[in-house]
Amino acid sequence: MALQELNFSFKPEKNFTSFAPEWFHSGVVGSGDMEVLMEHKKQDGKVTVKVVTPVTGFDQVWEKVLAKFVAETKIGNLHMEINDNNATPFIVHMRLKQALFEAKGDVES
Amino acid sequence: MRKWEEMQERSFYESTARERAINLVDKGTFTELLAPIDKMTSPHLPILGEAVSFDDGVVTGVGKIGKRPVFVISQEGRFIGGAVGEVHGAKMVATFRLAQQSYEKIKEKYPNDYESRIPAVVISFETGGVRLHEANAGLLAHAEVMEQIQHCRGKIPVIGLVGSKVGCFGGMGFVVVATDMVIMSDRGRIGLTGPEVIEEAMGKKEFDASDKSLIYRITGGKHKYIMRDAAYLVKDTIGDFHKQVAEALKMSYDEVQSHRCIGSLKLVEEQLELVKIAAENNFKDATDVWAYFGNKKSDQIQDQFYDEFIREAKRRPRR
Repeated sequence: MALQELNFSFKPEKNFTSFAPEWFHSGVVGSGDMEVLMEHKKQDGKVTVKVVTPVTGFDQVWEKVLAKFVAETKIGNLHMEINDNNATPFIVHMRLKQALFEAKGDVES
Repeated sequence: MRKWEEMQERSFYESTARERAINLVDKGTFTELLAPIDKMTSPHLPILGEAVSFDDGVVTGVGKIGKRPVFVISQEGRFIGGAVGEVHGAKMVATFRLAQQSYEKIKEKYPNDYESRIPAVVISFETGGVRLHEANAGLLAHAEVMEQIQHCRGKIPVIGLVGSKVGCFGGMGFVVVATDMVIMSDRGRIGLTGPEVIEEAMGKKEFDASDKSLIYRITGGKHKYIMRDAAYLVKDTIGDFHKQVAEALKMSYDEVQSHRCIGSLKLVEEQLELVKIAAENNFKDATDVWAYFGNKKSDQIQDQFYDEFIREAKRRPRR
């Protein structure tokens, strides 16, 4: 079975912050893990996500986890690409927050 | 990403390929080539429904140690066991080619003073060898990397580092011993056929893959250090590997070359002598070999801490 590609688009929170770095990468595609590439993209604050995963049938779970991430972090103008290898929803949420945290730290230093 | 100073203290064994690559060279000098943003993923894995990675499991780039440009190849064991596929292999080969181009340019620019500036290639191995999903391309990549190591001979030192979780097995086990110098930690492992595969093929009596102690006695850093397959044994931090590479770059090219395992008639004869010694003495375990080379307390070697081991270990004499 071929790899699955899922695409999502989210409206940002009203008081969103733009994703500042040109791009930021975090994570390793290990078993049960994932990597994410975050790119600054001017798109009226929208957050777009492309997920590449071998797992089928979890489209709605992805949408919920990603929507939660966007709502919690109030991030905008962001395009993310995720390479997933069977990461659980909890791991996905944690990795995304970690990546955003690291990306901000990188800007400060 | 943690600061460079902090990362020098960190375990090499537990670090990702990117952490190793960035922190093996001097602070702030690393530039990644074909970084994740280039999205060069494997063309073969999607058809098979296998997860892909933006770097295809290898981080390549260039940094500096002192005045010397250092071309870094760092494999990621967590992505399909660090196995070498088409893109992964092509990135390795391209890095070697860049190093050679850089060598020619430096020689042209500094005709009288180029020796203190020549580039080096440093490979941090963490791999099981050929990626079976793209086996032909993977095998070809191994051959091409071998060829590149030969192209570098007489010009560019090629240094192999082994101290990561997966170790260095399969085809890359051949490649690592073809480098000019191997630096290991005692947690590193080098082998050809992996323990499980030997057990599958030859039976538990021949090799018990569940026996971790046995695996380390046969493939581990201490054994390779005594046998001189590894030129240096360092502690398990990125900083210790970095320092040892920096030391190696202070050596003349000939001195670096003197640590080779294969690559000349003399070295082949030396290896054949070893085979003869092994056959004549009917060794049952690595500890017998250690005792043969003069390690009186060979049964205690595995439990020794780094400093004690380095102080007391008797290594295979070289001809």
